[in-house]
Amino acid sequence: MYTLSDQQVEFILKDIQQKGIHTEDLQQNLLDHICCILETEMKADDDFERVYTLVLQRFYKNELLEIEQETQDLLTFKNFYFMKKVMILSGLSTTGTFMLGSICKVMHWPGASFFFVLAIGLLSFLFLPLLFLLKQKELKSLQEKLVLLSGVLVGMLYTVAVLASVMHWTMAKSGTYWLLMIGFSFFVFIPLYFFNGIRKPESKINTILVTCLMVIFMSLQFLMVSLKPDIQKQITAIEAKQ
Amino acid sequence: MLFSSELIKGTLKTIVLKLLADNKRMYGYEITQKVKELTRDRILITEGALYPTLHALEADGLVVTELEYIGKRVRKHYKLTPTGKSKTKEKVSELIEFMQTMHVLLDINLQTS
Repeated sequence: MYTLSDQQVEFILKDIQQKGIHTEDLQQNLLDHICCILETEMKADDDFERVYTLVLQRFYKNELLEIEQETQDLLTFKNFYFMKKVMILSGLSTTGTFMLGSICKVMHWPGASFFFVLAIGLLSFLFLPLLFLLKQKELKSLQEKLVLLSGVLVGMLYTVAVLASVMHWTMAKSGTYWLLMIGFSFFVFIPLYFFNGIRKPESKINTILVTCLMVIFMSLQFLMVSLKPDIQKQITAIEAKQ
Repeated sequence: MLFSSELIKGTLKTIVLKLLADNKRMYGYEITQKVKELTRDRILITEGALYPTLHALEADGLVVTELEYIGKRVRKHYKLTPTGKSKTKEKVSELIEFMQTMHVLLDINLQTS
């Protein structure tokens, strides 16, 4: 049986590293596997590099990197399915809790605040972050991921602003949460969304339409928030006169 | 006849787990050779399928590794954990049931055709 020298072993290790195998465990496995094959099949007068190249070709269809990718995919998929289940469960729980909270609020039953806080907590800090983590895997470019991230942040800020208004939090009275959300949408999310989509011919029209709708929606929201204190002042003044 | 990789892919985890259950501990190359020998060259496990599967089994806590240093290289021996042992029984029973179902299904197809 042929015995590989230390230099040959080092050569193989460097080569598989250069060919895209970065996981150390996988490097060790592949190195030992290749060495086993070479030591079994090589003869003393064979050209090492030639036989090595032939043996390595058995490991992949197009390139060695496939093994690294397949390993990462299998490891990620395990978490992927778990995260997907948690996301669906948190989505359903949010819907149920929102409905319960709304019923309690309309009927003036106790517990409305508890359900609202729970629902918005679930939505903002579990459902939306998981949605981002799962969806960003499907996106290729960094820009698309940034659009998604800023969209999720707008969603989180929106829900927190609603919660703050419903719960009459001190900062909510001045509309800070709303202004924060609207400002972030106007200056970060909408421009990112617009410039990302407008470049693609297939999504150009859709991007313009959705951007217009978002600007209108945010403007209305801004109008509501900025008018709200005036209306409240007028109501207070009328009440004081009476 | 060499079985297609599509057929093997769905059963690879079970094959690896069963081999580890029967052989206490094995390393990658040994697994491929054992499968080749037991199936008389009808099933060839590719390295591209074996190592991702072994890493996934390790991440699931079904196998653990023991290292053996051979000169400049490290050999990783895989062995089943207690969870891996019960999972093996479960996977083998599932595969047997699947094969029985397939047998019935194919027989029905043969009779009707």
